[in-house]
Amino acid sequence: MIGRVPQWTVWVVGVIATIWVIPILGIVVTSIRPPSEVALGWWRLDQLSFTLDAWFKVWDQYPLAQAFWTTAQLAAIATVATMLLTPAAAYAFHFLKFPFRRLLLIIIINAFVLPQQVVIIPLFQLWRELGLIDNILAVLIPYVGLSFAWSIFLVKNFLEDFPKELVEAARIDGCGPIQTLWYVVLPNATSPIFAVGILQFLWTWNALLLPMLYLRTNIPLPVMLTRVSGTYEVNWDLRSVAAIVTTIVPLIVFLVFQRQFAAGAETRSGAKE
Amino acid sequence: MQETVADSAKGATANEVSPRGSERRKLLAAPRASGGWRLGDWPAAWLLIAPVIVLFGIAVVFPLIDTIRLSFFDIKGLAKPKYIGIGNYLKLFADPAFRNTLTTTLIFTLATTAISVTLGWLLAMLCAFAPRRTLVFRVMIFAAFGISEAVAGYMWIGIFRPDAGGLLNTVIGLFSPGFSHPWLGDPNTALWALIVAASWGGVGLPLMLCFASVQAIPRTVLEAAYLDGARPGQIMASIMMPLSLPGVRVAIFINLLGALRAFDIIYIITGGGPVRATETVGYFMYRESMTQFKLGYGAAATVVLLAAVLVISVPAIIQRTAGAR
Repeated sequence: MIGRVPQWTVWVVGVIATIWVIPILGIVVTSIRPPSEVALGWWRLDQLSFTLDAWFKVWDQYPLAQAFWTTAQLAAIATVATMLLTPAAAYAFHFLKFPFRRLLLIIIINAFVLPQQVVIIPLFQLWRELGLIDNILAVLIPYVGLSFAWSIFLVKNFLEDFPKELVEAARIDGCGPIQTLWYVVLPNATSPIFAVGILQFLWTWNALLLPMLYLRTNIPLPVMLTRVSGTYEVNWDLRSVAAIVTTIVPLIVFLVFQRQFAAGAETRSGAKE
Repeated sequence: MQETVADSAKGATANEVSPRGSERRKLLAAPRASGGWRLGDWPAAWLLIAPVIVLFGIAVVFPLIDTIRLSFFDIKGLAKPKYIGIGNYLKLFADPAFRNTLTTTLIFTLATTAISVTLGWLLAMLCAFAPRRTLVFRVMIFAAFGISEAVAGYMWIGIFRPDAGGLLNTVIGLFSPGFSHPWLGDPNTALWALIVAASWGGVGLPLMLCFASVQAIPRTVLEAAYLDGARPGQIMASIMMPLSLPGVRVAIFINLLGALRAFDIIYIITGGGPVRATETVGYFMYRESMTQFKLGYGAAATVVLLAAVLVISVPAIIQRTAGAR
């Protein structure tokens, strides 16, 4: 970009990037080579053959397909719920006047600092009393509830630059507050709502801690992965397949939407004004 | 993303040069153009926020208050909880395992943040010299950030495993034949193995944030320096590094918060072991409450974690609260 670019910088970055994908390459290769060959290292070339055995076997030995379905359901419901409830609340906080508005807003947007660990004990006791352990609501409620801290902040930030003349004009034309939200604000706020959806999808798909504690029979992929790997026999091939199945969907979503993700992650952690 | 990060970088710089003290408070208090403008009709407003309030109440407010309340009780299994005041906290700080946890947390959090942010920052500088040619490399490094922590954990177990299939031992073995070390089985190296694994995923975000910060530097500044005869190294040290500090600051905060709250990767790679050498406060809390069923004791540890998180978040909280209009 500026005059003489030192060639070595590209080389250094290239070498580091190559090192960076080695762990990923490792599980991919392990998943498609016979276990006897990779016992001495997946990178060895003295005997090279490929097999999809593990890719077929893992579905029979473990209910991986069911876990995939459970994960997809959980992530979809949590994502849709957040995408519906967040813009409504962000709109109310930004354009409407009501008692305790600012106090509630300050409490919600500062909750981003809370570690997940805070919800574990109280919700464990509550779900046990209500008989909700092993019910998907036990994880959906905290997934959606915890998301508001960053999602409302993100959408409200966007609304700060929303032309208030549009909202005023709608009101003069006789729109009620909810009609204004539906016909004027929502159609023009799809980008932050979409960003919120992507973040929530990735977060719920990858979640391990809460489903591990609150779900027993219908478990999502990350928990299933710990069970595939938890057995005593060394099953690196099956483990690798399960790991790839677990991470492939969020990884693709992440790479396709990486721009939105970086901006959102920043907001989510509250570092952005 | 570029725009957003660039804007925040601008915001942060503007903040630094803005007037201090009372003058600054006045500025914060003054309503912005859109600040004072709001429509009435609070029944509709309450209708719109009611679901959020209910879910937020169950998932955030109740657990927060209840965790603090439970930390004052002695709870064993299903027996009736007994109020013991600050007993749990006294026990906690007398417990060698917990005191060890504090050191582990400090080392893990600081080392992970330092390694990932420094590396991400330096890489961003190098990438800025040739943005087009390093695009693919940036995506490769950023991809690690998109891999779920649980999956990343298993990848790194594969690298650190002590048998012939372990990549790290094999690579070191090239230089000193016969080398073998149980990285995850040795309490002295397990924590550092964990730090390396956590930093691997943590480099992507600082890289992207700092890279965006550098891209936001006006071309004219860089061209002027070049015309004045500055070498690339000088441009990097005197222009790019100082001007990308806003991005670095954001990255440090995000990675600190993430490392402090880490759970998945520790659970997968070491499970807190060997001999509890890799337990952070966030993991200790899980172990005591969910595997030992000492709920009150675990709650007290959670409150300590919460306090640590709050301390590093004070500037962000102040910023958000002032900005909440």
